[in-house]
Amino acid sequence: MINTAAALRCQGLTKRFAETTAVDRLDLTVPSGSIFGLLGPNGSGKTSTIRTTLGIYVPDGGSVDLLGSRDPLSVRHRVGYLPEERGLYAKMKVVEQLAFLASIRGLDQKESTGRAGAWLDRVGLADNAQSLTSELSKGMQQKVQFASAVIHDPDLVVLDEPFTGLDPVNTRLLKELILEQRERGATVVLSTHRMEQVEALCESICLIHHGRPVLSGVLADIKLEPGANAQAVIRALLDRVEVQAVRLEHPHIEEIYLEKVGDQSAAPGAAIGGTA
Amino acid sequence: MSVTQILKIARREYLARVRSRAFIFMTVMIPAFLGAYMFVLLALFSSSGGDDLRVALLDTGTGLTDALADHLANINRPTVEVTERVVVPDDSDTARARFSEAVRQETLDGYVLLRKNPDIVARASYYARETGNPALLRELELAVESTVLDELLVDTEVDVEQIRALQRSDLDTVTVSDEGEEEGGFETAFASTLGLGMLLYMSVIINGQGMAMAIVEEKSSRLIEVILGAVTATEFMTGKILGVLGSGLTQLAVWVGVTLVGLLYVLLTMSIGAELAGFDLSAALSLELIFYFSIFFALGYFLYSVFFAAVAATCTSTEELGQAMFAAMLPLIVAFLSTFYVLTNPSTVATRVLSLLPPFTPLVMLARVNVLTPPLWEVWLGIALLVLGIVVAGWLAAKIFRYALLMHGKRPTLPDLLSVMRAT
Repeated sequence: MINTAAALRCQGLTKRFAETTAVDRLDLTVPSGSIFGLLGPNGSGKTSTIRTTLGIYVPDGGSVDLLGSRDPLSVRHRVGYLPEERGLYAKMKVVEQLAFLASIRGLDQKESTGRAGAWLDRVGLADNAQSLTSELSKGMQQKVQFASAVIHDPDLVVLDEPFTGLDPVNTRLLKELILEQRERGATVVLSTHRMEQVEALCESICLIHHGRPVLSGVLADIKLEPGANAQAVIRALLDRVEVQAVRLEHPHIEEIYLEKVGDQSAAPGAAIGGTA
Repeated sequence: MSVTQILKIARREYLARVRSRAFIFMTVMIPAFLGAYMFVLLALFSSSGGDDLRVALLDTGTGLTDALADHLANINRPTVEVTERVVVPDDSDTARARFSEAVRQETLDGYVLLRKNPDIVARASYYARETGNPALLRELELAVESTVLDELLVDTEVDVEQIRALQRSDLDTVTVSDEGEEEGGFETAFASTLGLGMLLYMSVIINGQGMAMAIVEEKSSRLIEVILGAVTATEFMTGKILGVLGSGLTQLAVWVGVTLVGLLYVLLTMSIGAELAGFDLSAALSLELIFYFSIFFALGYFLYSVFFAAVAATCTSTEELGQAMFAAMLPLIVAFLSTFYVLTNPSTVATRVLSLLPPFTPLVMLARVNVLTPPLWEVWLGIALLVLGIVVAGWLAAKIFRYALLMHGKRPTLPDLLSVMRAT
């Protein structure tokens, strides 16, 4: 039975690599039209989850409903994906590159070229349209990469660590662009370590650890409302109350994150900033 | 698998390749370089032999030096000047010392020593600084043979001129097959098979390596996952190979066109045109051969490119690719070397088996078709098995592609790849 209210739904999703289980019987539901945060420390299985749900990896178990389809590949034109490890053709002109990436996402040649120009204008790179990609700064390239992921107006936008390496100005621009995507009706899945971005943008989250969900639901519920998730929050916060009592009144998702993934989150913890 | 997506990848790959400086350089410079090389070679060939050859004749008692000198005088290229005719007591170093020293001092190009021989009247040896010119040696042999024949047949009624004509005549060969009889030498088929095989070999090596480099660069630049978000690994690989095939065919068309124009120019304008005019191009490149070559070129190109793509997908850097490339090239190299065996043994069981094995079919079956046309069913069985081989190799390569493309830092091991290929 396909749930039309969910843009993405996984049930018992499993992906193994030799002896390692990257995604372990994961249940996940991403509500349509929302911005959904997929959280977890390095190696927790976020990227493998994304790749498996998008059909880049073949799952070893479980099922995926992506935009109402059991076959992710059949709806790939309705998905915009910005991977964590992303690049561009260095020796290709920026506008041609964007048009090519638009064309493989289902747009015809004319529309691809038209939208490429419009998006370069939108992200402030109109003057660089005829430049080679190798001539752009890293931040400029990231804006092109983001534009390539949403240029075809996808119903689902999957962004894996989209803020990495961006300066504050471009971070603000990217936030605006993400919110624009939701405003036009798209669902956004945001995979990130940046807890302040999660709190600013996401309505729902799922925290993954060792390929398993350890916390999921509406962010407001997790932080404030009674119930199982709230108890988890309280437990997490009680553990810290002696040293950070002030946070009881305004709990941050970072603390929940740290509680759930414990000492093993040293690496992602280092990436969290500006939440105190 | 979406054909539209494949064509989009192929188009980008094709345009990126044909616009690159390396492609333009290779496409223009290789024929220009080879043309210049051929021009110089032909010019040298035309002028070579024009120098007089200064030769002395030494005789240990055969009495044939005058007759040999007459025959040597008939040689046109090069002109042979007999500087001395000397009778020496034997063939010892001491007896020849003066002439060997003259050769060393380059006041003499060489000398012919005639010895008595009870069976065939005389035997001859040629002493010179340069003994590697087969055409000259053949002319000297004929002169000695004619001299001896004159001596042997002097008191008989055998026409010596007929014997000489027979000495210079080649064996005419006629190939008998199911299609009938066809005049033509083995040399023509040999040359055309190697020429066409070399075209496939060179195209695959040059473009296959280029494609493999491009895959590794896309992988190391982290571009692959962006692409794989929109197309499948199989579509990506197929499009890539088609784009490379297209650029290879473009390059081939330019090379063939330039070669034909160059050949025409040589035939029409150069002094060696008369010699090349005897070369029957239609016998060397029949329509049937061109038809089969087109099929084997396209299918072979695709199959070997799949090997290159699969190997490239497992590499994480161009350095690794350099080490792994030999594995991709090996089937092509072995197939090319096999054609030398097949050309001289076109109907053995080993040849027939080889020609039906997909990695060998493009070159081996082409050689069979050219040298001794096999039964039609064998040719088409080979083509069908080749297509099947491409499908299977492509299917396995796509699995490797999907598995290995997103691996960075760690290169998959052979057991990893075997495990991936076994997985459904």
